[in-house]
Amino acid sequence: MRQEKSYSFRLRPQHPKGGKRRLSSKLRSIQVTITLTFTSVAVLVAVVVSLMLYNKFAKTAEENANMNMQQIIEQVNYNLELYVKGMRNIFETAEDQITNSPSVDSSLLMERMAMLMGSREDLVSAAVFTPQGKYVVGTAGQKLRSNTQLETQSWFTSAKKTSEISYSAPHIQNLFKGQYIWVVSISKLIQYKENGELKTGILLMDFNFRTIDELSKQVKLGKRGYAYILDQLGNIVYHPQQQLIYAGLKYENVEPVLEYAYRSYLDESTGEKRFITVRTLEQTGWKIVGVAYYDEIVTTKRDLNNFLSWFLAVVILCVIIVSVFLSARIARPIRKLERTLQQVGEGDLNTRIDVSGAYEVEQLSKRFNLMLQRIRQLMDQIIYEQETKRKGELEVLQSQINPHFLYNTLNSVIRLAERGKTEEVITMIQSLSKFFRISLSKGNNMITVQEELDHIRHYLVIQSFRFKNKFRYEIVAQDEVLQCQTIKLILQPIVENALYHGIEMMPDEGFISIRAELKDDLVIIRIIDNGLGMSNETMKVILTGGSKSMNGSGVGVRNVNERIELYYGREYGLSFESEIEEGTTVTLIFPALAKVEDNEGLKEDETSA
Amino acid sequence: MKNVRFWLTLLICAVLWTTVTSCFNSAPNYINTNKTRNIHLIVKMNRGDYWNTVKLGAEAAAQEFNVKLTFKAPDSESDITEQVKMVQESIKEKADVIILAASSYMGLAQVVDQAAYSKIPVISVDAEVGSARVRTYIGSNGYEAGQKSAERLIKLLKGYGEVGIINFTSSTQSEKQESSNGIEYGARDAEEREKGFLNYTARYPNIQVVEISYTTSSIKEAEELTQLMLLKHPKLRGIASLNETASQGAAMAIQSRGLKNIKMVAFDSSPSMMELLQDGAVQATVIQNPFNNGYLAVKHAVEVIEGINVPERVDTGTKIIDLDNMLWPENQKLLFPFVR
Repeated sequence: MRQEKSYSFRLRPQHPKGGKRRLSSKLRSIQVTITLTFTSVAVLVAVVVSLMLYNKFAKTAEENANMNMQQIIEQVNYNLELYVKGMRNIFETAEDQITNSPSVDSSLLMERMAMLMGSREDLVSAAVFTPQGKYVVGTAGQKLRSNTQLETQSWFTSAKKTSEISYSAPHIQNLFKGQYIWVVSISKLIQYKENGELKTGILLMDFNFRTIDELSKQVKLGKRGYAYILDQLGNIVYHPQQQLIYAGLKYENVEPVLEYAYRSYLDESTGEKRFITVRTLEQTGWKIVGVAYYDEIVTTKRDLNNFLSWFLAVVILCVIIVSVFLSARIARPIRKLERTLQQVGEGDLNTRIDVSGAYEVEQLSKRFNLMLQRIRQLMDQIIYEQETKRKGELEVLQSQINPHFLYNTLNSVIRLAERGKTEEVITMIQSLSKFFRISLSKGNNMITVQEELDHIRHYLVIQSFRFKNKFRYEIVAQDEVLQCQTIKLILQPIVENALYHGIEMMPDEGFISIRAELKDDLVIIRIIDNGLGMSNETMKVILTGGSKSMNGSGVGVRNVNERIELYYGREYGLSFESEIEEGTTVTLIFPALAKVEDNEGLKEDETSA
Repeated sequence: MKNVRFWLTLLICAVLWTTVTSCFNSAPNYINTNKTRNIHLIVKMNRGDYWNTVKLGAEAAAQEFNVKLTFKAPDSESDITEQVKMVQESIKEKADVIILAASSYMGLAQVVDQAAYSKIPVISVDAEVGSARVRTYIGSNGYEAGQKSAERLIKLLKGYGEVGIINFTSSTQSEKQESSNGIEYGARDAEEREKGFLNYTARYPNIQVVEISYTTSSIKEAEELTQLMLLKHPKLRGIASLNETASQGAAMAIQSRGLKNIKMVAFDSSPSMMELLQDGAVQATVIQNPFNNGYLAVKHAVEVIEGINVPERVDTGTKIIDLDNMLWPENQKLLFPFVR
């Protein structure tokens, strides 16, 4: 059952609103933390994965591109090989015909040569010269130029040196009128018959670049890649940008190419990364050089780039969205919990949390509700206990200011005064005064055992006058116990009880012994009388309440027991031992606590009294 | 503390991101060829091997740099008004760059300023134009070429004798006299070459330049002028011609008359001139680098569009070619365009 009460207290100071602290606390919030952590972990993973993928794919792409390029160049090499073989075949056919013809200027030979010339588009001219450089015969329709300097030309000199077929570097054909054409010349020393005489001469055949051009044009190495052909000496036989090379506007790094017959490497001499692949033709010693631009041929790499960039962007966006939602979902009940807690902190104990969400949060709110309920119970209990304590004390106090007691006491005083017993009167009044001072003791609940014993002593003094030496008493206390704390006014009701119920009715002289001692950190006070004693039933009734003494102050021993229990706990309190006609021993047990210093204490009381 | 960690994480993320993206996209270091550029090439004349070779060079560059090349030229080198009209057309057509070989130094100046006003860069090739707005000049040094020609001719003549010059002009003979009021209406290269030649011969007292004839742009006219000169000066020992048409005309006059004792230094390297050189009709020729002129003009034009700095002046050089060195491999490469 819930009690609707309003509690007002504060568990902690409120947060100052606004300002930097608010921002930073927002950044430290669980939502931001989750979002950031989640995002950064996901981004890191995505980046690492994509970098690894990129490297892997890029490497594969590079290898593929390289292989692809090598295959293309191999193909060109093969085609060129065929082409050179074709040139060689033509040349050998021509050589055969000239050698086997009875005379070089026979019309049959001229006819055959013309046929040969017509069979190929790339064949520009064919002619025979003497080793001295004199023109012997040539294909029809070609007039020789003057000042040709043919003796110095490479095809002429190299043909004279060996009996093998020699291939010249590209050069201008300047022998015949009409055109200046770039050609490659094939030349060889041959035997020919002139007027029945066997002579040695040089056969020259010039080929233009049409076929080579066509062969090379087919090479597609990316958008800007190309292939070019070098001769053994490093002269460029063919280059797609031959004119630019010749004009000195372009440059090709041929030195590393010349070193090997068969290789692939990466060249950066032009400032750009380029794949170079070299293959060498067997017959001519020409080298085919494939040039591919690294960043271009590896287009996959760039595609991959774009893809991965987009991929990363999308992943990061998704991760951010998901983590924002997720963290909001996680953080919402927690924030609600926090708000409720704040409300509780501000003193509203009547709130209830109904938070659904994660299991833990749900449990937390349930537990919190239970805790809140318990807090309310405890607070109710405390209030009840406090009220009871106050009431008990008030009752004791009221009992002391009992008019009957005062009347009796004052009567005794008057009687003593009448008898002129001044000494006793003074003792009496003094005791009464001290008795009341200690009773009040400035509203403190706790006093020392010393004071409590003084209090009871004064009481006994007063009562001994009243009962006219009907009893004797002793108060024995260990020194250690004197400074211990005790609840005030716990002895009086018991002594009163002993006097009124135990001793008053007995015929003999009574004796009350009060003994206080410290044992195992417990204060034990025994009130022993040799009075009438009581039955077990009475003892039970005394502690459970109900019995009120007829002559006493009306405050039961129960009150004392209750107060001890409230202050110190249920295990402490009163116990009785009694035997009819023998007497009663009441034992008070409560923990020994040192005197609290802050009390202004009795000194001040003394001055104010 | 946590706050600091948060900013640190953010920073690391940013750094990571930039490194990753930067290693993915590195900028290419060659001229961007993804966009097609409109470049107009306007030369002096639509005939002749020289201008063909310029065009060839320009086309090679156009192909390389993804340029849409518009080639324009009047029928005659003296048709200044036609050339001005062509430049105006190109301005109207919003060419990205205009490359101009000006027929007249001053005659084209105004229209070049107009182009610059319309934010169209102008590059001059082969012949300069009298405008400060021209971005760069690509061509040979005319004065130096003139000197080279004179030097060789004097050597051939062994230092004495009468010499005649066949030069070219953008205006007819009568106009030339009228416009002698200080304004240069001729082509810059013609004047420079002539100046170089005359200044060099001035050091040789035994060399007399007896006549300078100006042809507009026809081989026929040049041949006639040469014939006339030979008639007027029977003691003439040497002839220098200062451009391709003049050279071909003069050489034809000499060859047709079979004059073996007249030495001639020609200009430019058309295949027919090479033929004449090989035949011995002409002793030497001063060659320029028309292919390179055309190529570099287009290349620099693209660079201008790209915002790359181009040199103020590109001297493509001149060279004396004679029978001895014409077949040297490096000269072969210069003299004969590689036509497939």
